[in-house]
Amino acid sequence: MKITFPYWGNYTIAFEKLAKKLGLEVVPPEKTTPLTIEKGAKIAPEMYCFPLKVNLGNFLEAIEKGADTSVMATARGGSCRLRYYAIVEDKILKDEGKKVNFVIFDQSPLDIYSKLKKISGASFFQFLNSALFTLKTISIIEKLEKRAQFLRPREKEKGETDRFLNSAFRRLRKIEKFFDLLKFEREILKEMAQIKYERKEVPKVGIVGEIYTVTDHSINFEIERKLGNLGIEVHREMSLFYHLKKKIFPWIDWKIQRKIKNYLGSTVGGHGRDAIYEMLKYVKEDFDGVIQLLPAMCMPETTVRPILEKIHQETGIPFLSLSIDEQVAEAGLNTRIEAFVDVVKNYYGKKKN
Amino acid sequence: MKIGIPRALIYWKRPIFWENFFENLQFEVILSPKTNKKIVEEGVKISDPETCFSNKVYFGHLKWLDEKCDFIFVPRLKTNKEKLEYCPKFFGLPDLAKAFLKTKILTQEFDEKKEKFEKSLLKLGKKLRKNKKEISKAFKIAKEKEKIFLKEKERETLKKLTSNSFKIVLISHPYNLFDDYVNLRIAQRIKNLGALPIFLENIRAENTNLDLWPKFHWEFGKEIAQKIETILKYEISGAIQISSFACGCDAVLKEFVEKRFKKEKIPFLYLIIDEHTGEAGFQTRIEAFLDTIKI
Repeated sequence: MKITFPYWGNYTIAFEKLAKKLGLEVVPPEKTTPLTIEKGAKIAPEMYCFPLKVNLGNFLEAIEKGADTSVMATARGGSCRLRYYAIVEDKILKDEGKKVNFVIFDQSPLDIYSKLKKISGASFFQFLNSALFTLKTISIIEKLEKRAQFLRPREKEKGETDRFLNSAFRRLRKIEKFFDLLKFEREILKEMAQIKYERKEVPKVGIVGEIYTVTDHSINFEIERKLGNLGIEVHREMSLFYHLKKKIFPWIDWKIQRKIKNYLGSTVGGHGRDAIYEMLKYVKEDFDGVIQLLPAMCMPETTVRPILEKIHQETGIPFLSLSIDEQVAEAGLNTRIEAFVDVVKNYYGKKKN
Repeated sequence: MKIGIPRALIYWKRPIFWENFFENLQFEVILSPKTNKKIVEEGVKISDPETCFSNKVYFGHLKWLDEKCDFIFVPRLKTNKEKLEYCPKFFGLPDLAKAFLKTKILTQEFDEKKEKFEKSLLKLGKKLRKNKKEISKAFKIAKEKEKIFLKEKERETLKKLTSNSFKIVLISHPYNLFDDYVNLRIAQRIKNLGALPIFLENIRAENTNLDLWPKFHWEFGKEIAQKIETILKYEISGAIQISSFACGCDAVLKEFVEKRFKKEKIPFLYLIIDEHTGEAGFQTRIEAFLDTIKI
């Protein structure tokens, strides 16, 4: 059995590690390219949301490389279409005549444990070990990404941060033992601290929106890098760890609900509430702009978008909403980002004087 | 005091119930008119460009009611009796209405996972300063009227189903089926072409075996699945599913509805409606579909 899973930004490294540590034979997904998206969109239902089309493209490429089992986690508590991802993908791939099995997880630790145990036959200790390894890997990835967001607008030599980041992820992928991982974390943070940068204040922009589009740089056209190179410090609350934390501690959601009750009185599925909460937080922390990223026609995010726009009108903070799908061209997106950066810099300049 | 009810989207989930309920509580009810071109245009103007067509129509109705009444009633429907969820876009309707309109919004959450429908209704009545007795009386009368109305419809549909004519089932959400402007009078068009249209919504759902369907957490998912299983027991010539553009739920549902009809070898047509749908193209597709069946 050769398993595969959808590509998800830099987190792919962590998932690959998890599968390998459990002793599964894994075909890691290729990085998402425009061609992947095109292949997926061709067979996907026209009105389905964008991530499904990307996932299908990833699966198609992995199947060509010999994978025969797809692993997909779908939400149990969410109200949106994510619940049906695996069933619909399974149906579509079978209709296309591909021989592929699906292992479908609920997003609950117990369910993931029991199903992974069935396909891998690993012992409980091995599970604990690989779960720890995966979580540590995710945490390192997020630390590096966060640091890069700070460094990009300030670096002395343009592009150094990204070159460093690429080599760091390449090295991270090769690490096998937990002890080495801890050593790597220490070393890499030390090395990263050596990147020379100017100590200066720069405009800050917060990114809110749907978790997959926000964190997968291969589908959001590396928006963080683009903004960084244009001299903007990017902040992003949404990450895999944040999502996992919310799954384990439900009261985080209650706290968020209390804070946004003047704008939205209930969940709207997905991370709809979080977008409002984060935007309010960025306004409070005196940011210079907010960008919302969403896959086109995403149900929760389109529901909250008028509310985000209302906050933008009330507070005057620059706001840009980018919906991403297979028809978005990079050149058009660049123009919009550049125009937005001008607005942000204007706003920042006015505030300073 | 005047209470406005938009005649779109969630209204069609329980037509006649809400207006009856408020009228029994001695309020004046203003129902927005049937959807027309102006309402749709207004709705498209104010709502999010990527939300579904049905939502846009709803906001058009809200805009029509704006400043014509004291309150506009926008309930927050979350889960139904069977503890199944409504479309997630319904969850945010009162908040969006507040963001778009000047008139006060009268709202109440109906989440039967947490509390019974009657209890939520009581809370709603309390907001309007009515006592328990008045509220439960109004509820009873409204429910009774709704029951008679539904029975009459079910009886009619059953008669149609058992007749010998050329039957076409129309599958969609009630807000697409019963709104003639939105669905471009599809029932009339089918009738003119010599076939008998049957609304899936008007069929009584029987408790049938749903092994061929995934387990839906949406109320309409289960309902449509059950009704389709029921209708497959009768002889049907074809099925047409209508979706409003950008409807997220239908993107899922369509896959399984189509699969089910294909399995029974019943011809199936999928139509998407939105504010730009041209009548001519629509007519051609229906004609072509009926022609293929008749051969």
